[in-house]
Amino acid sequence: MIYAEHLRKEFKKVVKEPGLKGSFKALFKPKKEIVVAAEDISFHVPKGEILGFIGPNGAGKSTVIKMLTGILTPTSGECRINGKIPQNDRKNYVKEIGAVFGQRTQLWWDLPLQETYLVLKEIYEVDDASFKKRMDFLNEILELEKFIKSPVRTLSLGQRMRADIAASMLHSPKVLFLDEPTIGLDVVVKDNIRQAIMRINKEEKTTVILTTHDISDIELLCDRIVMIDKGKNVYDGSLHELRENYGQTRELVFETDKSSKLTKEQFRKGLNPNENDLVIENEKNNFKVRFNSNKIPVAEMLSYALSVTKVKDISVKDADIEEIIRNLYRQGEALNE
Amino acid sequence: MRRALKIYRLLVVQNLKRLMEYRADFLTGAVSFLIDQAVGIGFIFIIFSQIPQLAGFTFPQILFIYGLSQIPKGLDHLLTDNLWCIGYFIVRKGDFDKYLIRPINPLFHVIAENFQVDAIGELVVGIGLLVYAAPNADLHITVWTVLLSLIAIPFATLIYTSLKIMTSALAFWMKSSGFIIQMVYGMNEFAKYPTTIYSFPVRIFVTYIIPFAFTGYYLSLYILTGTDPLLSIGGVILISSVLFVISILIWNKGISAYESAGA
Repeated sequence: MIYAEHLRKEFKKVVKEPGLKGSFKALFKPKKEIVVAAEDISFHVPKGEILGFIGPNGAGKSTVIKMLTGILTPTSGECRINGKIPQNDRKNYVKEIGAVFGQRTQLWWDLPLQETYLVLKEIYEVDDASFKKRMDFLNEILELEKFIKSPVRTLSLGQRMRADIAASMLHSPKVLFLDEPTIGLDVVVKDNIRQAIMRINKEEKTTVILTTHDISDIELLCDRIVMIDKGKNVYDGSLHELRENYGQTRELVFETDKSSKLTKEQFRKGLNPNENDLVIENEKNNFKVRFNSNKIPVAEMLSYALSVTKVKDISVKDADIEEIIRNLYRQGEALNE
Repeated sequence: MRRALKIYRLLVVQNLKRLMEYRADFLTGAVSFLIDQAVGIGFIFIIFSQIPQLAGFTFPQILFIYGLSQIPKGLDHLLTDNLWCIGYFIVRKGDFDKYLIRPINPLFHVIAENFQVDAIGELVVGIGLLVYAAPNADLHITVWTVLLSLIAIPFATLIYTSLKIMTSALAFWMKSSGFIIQMVYGMNEFAKYPTTIYSFPVRIFVTYIIPFAFTGYYLSLYILTGTDPLLSIGGVILISSVLFVISILIWNKGISAYESAGA
């Protein structure tokens, strides 16, 4: 369905020295620098899958999404969606996709929401009967009824996001690109939007590519994740596998006596861990100890900690996916250095 | 084509509805354009209170050229005003994204999205001056002069539009090209008067480089003199067509250089 092959995108940037003088200098003698936003990204998404496309800020996620939607032209490499190259056959291609950029809106800002849908109906050539059916469906899953008559500028962020998703779905696209669709939303609206994405995917076999920083989005929605960092692939596989392979991190929280402390120093004497395998954070007398359970077994860690300090309370946390991803990001950084 | 017209109508209607939402803004725009026009015409009156003729043209003839030059200007202003926004902020802010993910031509979409009612000012003034000046301007009115001049008006309009497409498309590389559009567009002041009043370099410039001379002087020349339709009408059609083709090439090249903006 979606093939991305060695996508690369460079931007030219004029480097300016600070201040007005620097700006003047750049005007007459521009010093150009090439910024590589995506270096080499490849992945494949089969039909009907929800792919979580994740990575830290500035990893190149949006750049890749914009190449896939045909907004940007890749410097090299190729993407093919439904057999079409977006940049070559834009008009026919975009009929088959829908895109939501969470930070932007495609709604007509000053007009009542329903006007946007009427315009999009014509632009995408949706006939009256399908339009009515479609609006009923979208109304049902995204609950647009309450604000469909309000001007877009008066909508809350959550309402606007639902309205934008509906706008991108109006023409029943085969592929849906969602770039941070839950950004800045409260838990209830997030849940509503996730339910909607799930239903659209189930009922219409819509292929979805989703970028997000919200780990729950990924846990609840995505069959597979592709993680990128600094413009390169870092991980490609199921969430389950990720948890198996990278989920060795455990977290123990010790509440100690007022007089006692837990420091890395203490652990170094007894367990001698590697720098990356043990992290200690503390807040007053709560010491959060995160460690690699492959290197230091949980039981050993526990008994050692009890032996070196006076512990009042202990809690154990399982590896959550957020932690795993944080680890992966860190590893990516270490590899690059 | 029918679909394009339908979408165009729909987008224009949306825009008019938007205008109704901001009435004060709309009225201010219209008034400021009338003031602008009043200053321009007042200037001609002042000149002709001092001299009887200008480059061989009488006062009514000059008014006729001025009036006719406002019509292509007004039509372009009415229909394609959104191109200014491309140059000033749509590209720079990354808002051009949305035009690229819709199944209609992005240039058409941009243009259809705005219908600049302020332009009525130019059209009213233009037509008013033509009606006022025509009886005393010694026009050569025949079926041919009238018909060909009417046919040439959309082409003259296309000169304005093409120059705006070209200069606004520069924003795809430069991020912001508003001031360049402004600079080039501002040259249309030269269109209001016979080019023969200008020095040689200026004449060459407004005829061949930024060919606004064809939107006023050459456009009027055939009906004023009754001779040389090939130079005046033919010139308008040829220059506008060439310019339009070049502008589309630049625009399309620009789209593939578009860099969007960080999310």
